[in-house]
Amino acid sequence: MGAFDAPIPYDKAVYIETDTGNKVSRKALIQGASNIVLGGKSIIQTGAILRGDLRRNAPGQHPVITMGRYCTVGENAVLRPPGKMYKGQFTYYPQRIADFVTIGKDAVVEAAQIGSGVDIGEGAVIGQFVIIKDLAVIRPGTVLADATVVSSMSVWEGNPGRLVDTLPETYQETVEASCRSLYQRFRPNA
Amino acid sequence: MSVRYHCSHLADPAPPLPPSYASSSSSFNPLGELYFCEECDAVRCDLCCVSEIASYFCPNCTFDVPSANVRGDKNRCARSCFSCPDCTTPLQVQATGTTEDAGPSAPSGPPFILICPCCRWSSREVALEFEKSAGLALQLQKLLSAKDPAQPEFDALKDHLDTYITSPAPAPTPARSASKHPTRHISHLTQMAAKALHRDVPGMAAAGAVAKSGLRREMKGGGERYGWDELGEYGTKESWRARGLERGDEDVEAMRRLGGIRMGVEPEGSSWYNDGKRRLTNRYPERIPLQTKLTKRCPHPACRHLLIQPDTKSTRFKIKMVAANYLPVVEIGRRRRRIDGGGHGLMSTGSMEEAEVRRKERRRLRGRGEEVDEDMGAPIRPGEVYTFQIAFTNPLYDPIQVRLTQPTAPLPALLPANHLIHIPTRDFIVNPLKDAWSYDDEEEYADMEGTEMGTSEDGSSVLPSSRGTLGPAAGKRSRLSVLATSSGGTLRDKERRKRESEVDKKGNCTKVGVEVEILPGATGEVVFDLEVRFTYRVDDTDGSKPKGAEKETQKGKEEYKHFTFWARVDLGCISP
Repeated sequence: MGAFDAPIPYDKAVYIETDTGNKVSRKALIQGASNIVLGGKSIIQTGAILRGDLRRNAPGQHPVITMGRYCTVGENAVLRPPGKMYKGQFTYYPQRIADFVTIGKDAVVEAAQIGSGVDIGEGAVIGQFVIIKDLAVIRPGTVLADATVVSSMSVWEGNPGRLVDTLPETYQETVEASCRSLYQRFRPNA
Repeated sequence: MSVRYHCSHLADPAPPLPPSYASSSSSFNPLGELYFCEECDAVRCDLCCVSEIASYFCPNCTFDVPSANVRGDKNRCARSCFSCPDCTTPLQVQATGTTEDAGPSAPSGPPFILICPCCRWSSREVALEFEKSAGLALQLQKLLSAKDPAQPEFDALKDHLDTYITSPAPAPTPARSASKHPTRHISHLTQMAAKALHRDVPGMAAAGAVAKSGLRREMKGGGERYGWDELGEYGTKESWRARGLERGDEDVEAMRRLGGIRMGVEPEGSSWYNDGKRRLTNRYPERIPLQTKLTKRCPHPACRHLLIQPDTKSTRFKIKMVAANYLPVVEIGRRRRRIDGGGHGLMSTGSMEEAEVRRKERRRLRGRGEEVDEDMGAPIRPGEVYTFQIAFTNPLYDPIQVRLTQPTAPLPALLPANHLIHIPTRDFIVNPLKDAWSYDDEEEYADMEGTEMGTSEDGSSVLPSSRGTLGPAAGKRSRLSVLATSSGGTLRDKERRKRESEVDKKGNCTKVGVEVEILPGATGEVVFDLEVRFTYRVDDTDGSKPKGAEKETQKGKEEYKHFTFWARVDLGCISP
């Protein structure tokens, strides 16, 4: 699969590669970096905003955004943890993102949990406290209302987002291969 | 731009109908959606698979509903999952009252309401409030059953008939076999036959009426009711007459006036089901329908093997027999357009002889003719010659020998062809799937290619003299040369062919060229079928073979099997 996929060159001056193979754009806005955990081999593209500063009110260290391996955050996508009133006080909750997650460009993600192998399309809006289970597709432009639960192997589309389809049984292999291939092809231009 | 694979739907594998037959499209699916039955050695698709429900779950609370409860719950979640009547978004429970322990700023106590996080619809709009936040379905059911007359009516009728079905049959009346009217004591088959005989024939309404009236008269006259089941009279709970819905002539008049209404297509975005206005008076939240996990079986009556068995607890599958693990992945890409002066004058008809002449001309000009890379999305122009690459990726742990041809369709095409296909390399090898780090020894495979080229006509392999036959690679070589036997030809011939067709090997992927000549003045879509026949090695069942004897027995023990499948390649529309 992906025999004809062309390499995706990037400007070497723009991206920083970490020890674990994460490729993070210098032009991405990362706030509260100490509260963000990247699993490795993930790509944060130019213009992406990660709000690690929106942390829980309790004292001590709390990871705000946790991301697994082979994830991609597209250009100008926004990741911010969900927050709500709890016992008379406003507090943020951590955002957990598993492996092989692709977040399209211009997407706004305030989900509480995103399972592995989830593909969020371009310009999608994921409301607060949304739970996306493993292996799901959110088509481009979908708006998921707050606290929606997206079950495994489902495809969601529309505003408000509705379940429109299910995924074939081979989807896990397909998505893992495509995420790996994307990372391999994302190389600095010579 | 797509490649889809053919499923013969239980029939014997045979070339599919040409692409011009619309009916053939249902037999083609992307590779990812196909299954493979090892027992039948055949591709199966979603249309022909036998699906059984493995488990039910609510997509909102992801609770696995036991299948015994599903029917009683009417296939909907019986917990606290509701969808908004306006926008079908799952509703949230919100507390509206205040409790004493929490401050007045945060409502946390009863009454609870359902609120839509998307359109802000609230259950207060239909005066629904709940005492407790748990088990809302039960609370709502009580509230709704009081308002909806249809459900209790149906339940009452069902109960009434249930007594008839479950009660023991009355003792058969003696010696009244002449009774015309069927009872439960007569077999169901006889009853069905009797019903079929009495059924009204369309257009014979008058006759039927006469017969029925005759029957009724006979019944009144005779008054014999032996063998009848005693079924009590059913009294309705409510009647439309009692509700004052009977207006007589007024209704008739109203219906006459309806003639003036234009019946047309509804405005966009308002299907009858989702149209909020229609349901203004009946906007109660609905319980969320359950989803299922399916088990899929081979449809062959003699096989019935499981192809898909999901794990109810996770997203994994206990059994997953998918075609992607058995058939090579076919992809098409790298489009190039030929720029050469010659050949265009000849392009007047699509006859095979002329195409062959042009092809030879192109082959002669190959050194001089130029090819430009084009974007795959660029429009295809009539009268041009394009070269594409077709990539075959091998999912097996053994090399495969592929033969690529154009199938002979069982029926002539409906439309004259708008393009001609030429496949320069029909036979080639696709290397086995290995772990990513094993591909470093690519050289070995480059050598094997040499072996492939060095196969002489009689099948005995001419090994390149530069490399000796050392170590385990020798075994692999001889095996591959067996696979390569069919390709034939002298070394020089092979080299020329390789250069011409540009066989491109990398890892477990082999790319070969295909020429597509779009005829002048052609329109429509460029769709063609490919027949892919591949040969693969079958592991012998006798696994405990002595190591020393391996070399001698290799040829005898190793078995090769063939598998043929058909793929439909869609290159897109020709733009004039």
